[in-house]
Amino acid sequence: MSGSTGLLTEGQDLRIVGFLCNWCSYGGADTAGVARFEQPTDLRVIRVPCSGRIDPLFIARALLSGADGVLVSGCHPRDCHYAEGNFYARRRFEMLKQFLSVTGIDPERFHYTWVSASEGQRWQDVVTSFTERIRKLGPATKMAGGTGYDEECLKEIAAAVSLGDQCPCHKEKA
Amino acid sequence: MQALAELKEQIRQALPDLDVVIGWQQGYDALHTSPLFIRSEEDIDKLVVNEFCVVNPATYLREMRGGKKVGLVLKGCDSRSVIQLLQEKLLKEEDLTIFGFGCNGVLNHTKLQARFGDIGFITSLENDGTNVTVEAGDKKETVPFTELCADKCLTCSYPNTLQCSHFAGEESAKQADSATDKALEDFEKLTMEERFTFWQDQMRRCIRCYACRNACPMCVCKDHCLANSREPKWLSEDVDVQNNFMFQLIHVMHLTGRCVECGECERACPMDIPIMLLRRKMAGIVRDVFAYNAGTNAEETPPLMCFKVEEPTIEERH
Amino acid sequence: MRIGVFICHCGSNIAATVDCPAVAEQAKGLQDVVFTTDTMYTCSEPGQNEIIEAIKEHKLDGVVVASCSPRMHEATFRRALERAGLNRYMLEMANIREHVSWIGKNKERNTVKAFELVSIAVAKLRNNNPLYANKFDVTKRVLVIGGGVAGIQAALDCADAGYQVVMVEREQSIGGKMAKIDKTFPTVDCSSCILGPKMVDVSQHENITLYALSEVEKIEGYVGNFDVQVRKKATYVNWDECTGCGACMEKCPSKKNIDKFNEGISKCTSINIPFPQAIPKKAAINPEGCLMLQKGKCGVCAKVCPTKCIDFEQKDEIITEKVGAVIAATGYDMFDHSVYKQYGAGQYPDVITSLQYERLMNASGPTGGHIIRPSDGKEPKKVVFVQCVGSRDPSVGRPYCSGFCCMYTAKQAILTKDHIPDSDSYVFYMDIRSPGKGYDEFTRRAQEQYGVQYLRGRVSMIYPKGDRYVVRGSDTLAGTQVEVEADLVVLAVGAESAKNAPALAEKMRISYDNYGFFMEAHPKLKPVETNTAGVYLAGSCVGPRDIPTSVGQGSAAAAKVMTLFSKDKLESDPQVSSVNTSRCIGCMKCATTCPFGAIKEVTDRAGNVKAEVIETVCQGCGICTVTCPQGAIQLQHFTDNQILAEVNALCQAQLDF
Repeated sequence: MSGSTGLLTEGQDLRIVGFLCNWCSYGGADTAGVARFEQPTDLRVIRVPCSGRIDPLFIARALLSGADGVLVSGCHPRDCHYAEGNFYARRRFEMLKQFLSVTGIDPERFHYTWVSASEGQRWQDVVTSFTERIRKLGPATKMAGGTGYDEECLKEIAAAVSLGDQCPCHKEKA
Repeated sequence: MQALAELKEQIRQALPDLDVVIGWQQGYDALHTSPLFIRSEEDIDKLVVNEFCVVNPATYLREMRGGKKVGLVLKGCDSRSVIQLLQEKLLKEEDLTIFGFGCNGVLNHTKLQARFGDIGFITSLENDGTNVTVEAGDKKETVPFTELCADKCLTCSYPNTLQCSHFAGEESAKQADSATDKALEDFEKLTMEERFTFWQDQMRRCIRCYACRNACPMCVCKDHCLANSREPKWLSEDVDVQNNFMFQLIHVMHLTGRCVECGECERACPMDIPIMLLRRKMAGIVRDVFAYNAGTNAEETPPLMCFKVEEPTIEERH
Repeated sequence: MRIGVFICHCGSNIAATVDCPAVAEQAKGLQDVVFTTDTMYTCSEPGQNEIIEAIKEHKLDGVVVASCSPRMHEATFRRALERAGLNRYMLEMANIREHVSWIGKNKERNTVKAFELVSIAVAKLRNNNPLYANKFDVTKRVLVIGGGVAGIQAALDCADAGYQVVMVEREQSIGGKMAKIDKTFPTVDCSSCILGPKMVDVSQHENITLYALSEVEKIEGYVGNFDVQVRKKATYVNWDECTGCGACMEKCPSKKNIDKFNEGISKCTSINIPFPQAIPKKAAINPEGCLMLQKGKCGVCAKVCPTKCIDFEQKDEIITEKVGAVIAATGYDMFDHSVYKQYGAGQYPDVITSLQYERLMNASGPTGGHIIRPSDGKEPKKVVFVQCVGSRDPSVGRPYCSGFCCMYTAKQAILTKDHIPDSDSYVFYMDIRSPGKGYDEFTRRAQEQYGVQYLRGRVSMIYPKGDRYVVRGSDTLAGTQVEVEADLVVLAVGAESAKNAPALAEKMRISYDNYGFFMEAHPKLKPVETNTAGVYLAGSCVGPRDIPTSVGQGSAAAAKVMTLFSKDKLESDPQVSSVNTSRCIGCMKCATTCPFGAIKEVTDRAGNVKAEVIETVCQGCGICTVTCPQGAIQLQHFTDNQILAEVNALCQAQLDF
């Protein structure tokens, strides 16, 4: 089933986690709702008091746990309800954003921006374009579970043990 | 060695006013050193300074908080961790006496092992600064120093101890062999998928022994690390890929703008997981964005502890 | 835990696009959930009663309401929980209206999303703890910063209500801009006749302590308990003794000081009382002009003073006051028109500002109310008024409308005709903005009865021609360029924030906008409150305001203070940070990043440094929680564990497939 905007493709929603500050962006999302600005349904919002409360590690945790995208939004710089929260947040998010690539997690899966409580229209645009971006990227590769040694590794160990004294490491020492 | 004799003399003179001086001594074989805690005159002669002085003595500082007068023999890279701790007001300058010297780089045991097999079989090793001649079993080989040294030495711009009270011997004129980080550059040639698979494989090997954390001079939380806490509970007790990687990311994020790239974490890793790739990447970002080199100026504020209203180096995110 | 989940239909607002009964049914499977239901209007009285009954019947210790935005009804449902004997913080809400039903049309997907939002809320609730507010005393005294008409009104209202008021005024006299104005629009009342009595009331009110020529140095503490340091600047006159007789002013030989009160159009003596109605009516020495203080010889004032109150040794004094609330009424400054090179950059003597013109028209001004040209003292016959100088002009960084210039320009044009009946006035304007009681009629009167020529267009340049000036501009209604020769040009300069407003804002820990105006807590619904509890705003420090609005805001701010003071004890919001001292290593990084100075360093019994949160100062932003590497400082109700539970609930669901 696809939504009337044509934004949705067939199948299951993607897993997009949103972290929004209570004062601006959560309000902006409410404003968009009140105005009935239609949006893709993939986003799930977690409300926090301030973008300064959003630990970059929450974002990392979400991405490692299988989120396909993480969208973070706070008050515009200078408009923070707590005066400085988004200034600290901006530095933290930027570090994470640039860092992600080395982990093999596509930095495009994480987006941070600023939306005020009155910017319902902008919120719709942000959600729509971010969801489209994640849909283009497709579902994220899930980090496999598994502890310590996988089956192959265990087989190797078993093989080595069965060799007893004939194991290469024993040979060298001898 | 001129510097060593001078160092010993300087320590001898300073020792009466110090509770302890931390340096290196000969380890269980010629290829290893172990930490030396000089508390009396007779300990001084045990001090060695050579290409195997890999341990960062500053790592022991966190055990020494609380008014002890501590002397430290430090390489250039080690001294950065002290400056960073001073900057974070985790140490008091008046409690520290730093003995500095010019370092020409240290060797990496893992690289030696990769080249010559188990290093227990190495019978002699000579290092003239440019080349290292190694005898192992019946083999004798001469290899350029840069192929065996620690990765950090390749890009090192601080071979001389910073902010030291005493300096022994001549300053090292060692230059960084390359401005860029070759290992990281090579790694970044991989695709996202390949990198992800790489880390997944590496993190599957991780045994979560926390040697990396315990070796880190900047991990000052000591017994209160997030990794072992229930309140808050960031990691489960499961030693699985996700939790292992999460731990590494916690370490990297907590070191953002603080990591002095001493490489102790990777060196301490019993599984030889190349976790310095992550830390060097972050340190590089901090350098790019904030023009900030951790541990080089005790007067600066770490970049995540401050902000600018307008951030000229951060692209506005719409 | 025993959790109850209530899914609201909100009539058809939610139920039309979310299968509410299905969500309620599915929620039964969530951990710790023992009761679920769906109701038509959960916020209605029967809806709330249903929650209360369910809490009692099913022994619930936590409630999830899935309905509208928590910004809408969180307070409502928290009260319902309290009525049922539960702690109000054992509530979590899932926003399935604004974030689900109103933005998506696909019922199937909306239903899945709504359920997932409910499961996030349940996951968080399982980590919630009851929180309790602390009670603390209120110091029932208020600090009013600024003695303009807004500050005066606020101070008098508070004082009349029986509260002690400390008023701090930067200038030598209270009165602000209104004291400089000749007449007020649209009634053409004499400004000082209506303000004067209020100023006298301030000086005579037993509940008001006035510090003039003083500035706020530091504000520490929190709502109900602020410690304020006031710097009382040296006046070199013992004000306890000074009677304001003015003998010193008559004899002072240094007469070349710029008269700030008269906007620089006249000179004054070094020892001076700014104007006859000044409150306090006390003399003060301007140290920069005083011969005694600069060169060590003179002392004439000391000789002639009948009460011997001159004290050349006087120093600045720091006074500490304890107050429970602060009203900032610091007003505005006039835009400096010298940035307009095309208007002469402030170099033409007969191109003056509107406030200078007020002083020329004012009977107690330097000319005794005779309008003359500053250059040659002649009476101008043709006066051109230029509006929007430093207003609605993005090129000088002032894109906003100053609001009152249209009106005072009309007033000045009318008064010009009154003063000089054979004069002609011209006004260049962009739009006439006169939305006030009797305002539009007034601007019409200027045009229709007083024959003021209104030209719609901006002025491109002003240049001298002989001893007159040519004002060149456009007349956009006629579609032509016009040039008007003028004897005097009056620039209707706009308002900008007071010079050191940002510095003061930082002392009060309130926000300010790009222009330096203070930010209200909400521009519509909380116009005199700030985001710092106990700090209120009045008048033009928030943005350009005319007199009636300023007075209204002064009273409004006073009313807010009285509301605050009507309680003997205040409750602190328990959603603040709290330090787990056994995890804290005392690095004090949290104190560095806290924007409110809410974290102090303490030493525990073992002599270890620890961080401690001053609960009443903490505003609950959580910056510290992210700063702390050990997670030792946790923002209550938004702890790491609570947010991690939400993240895990969202992401691990996916992993389980």
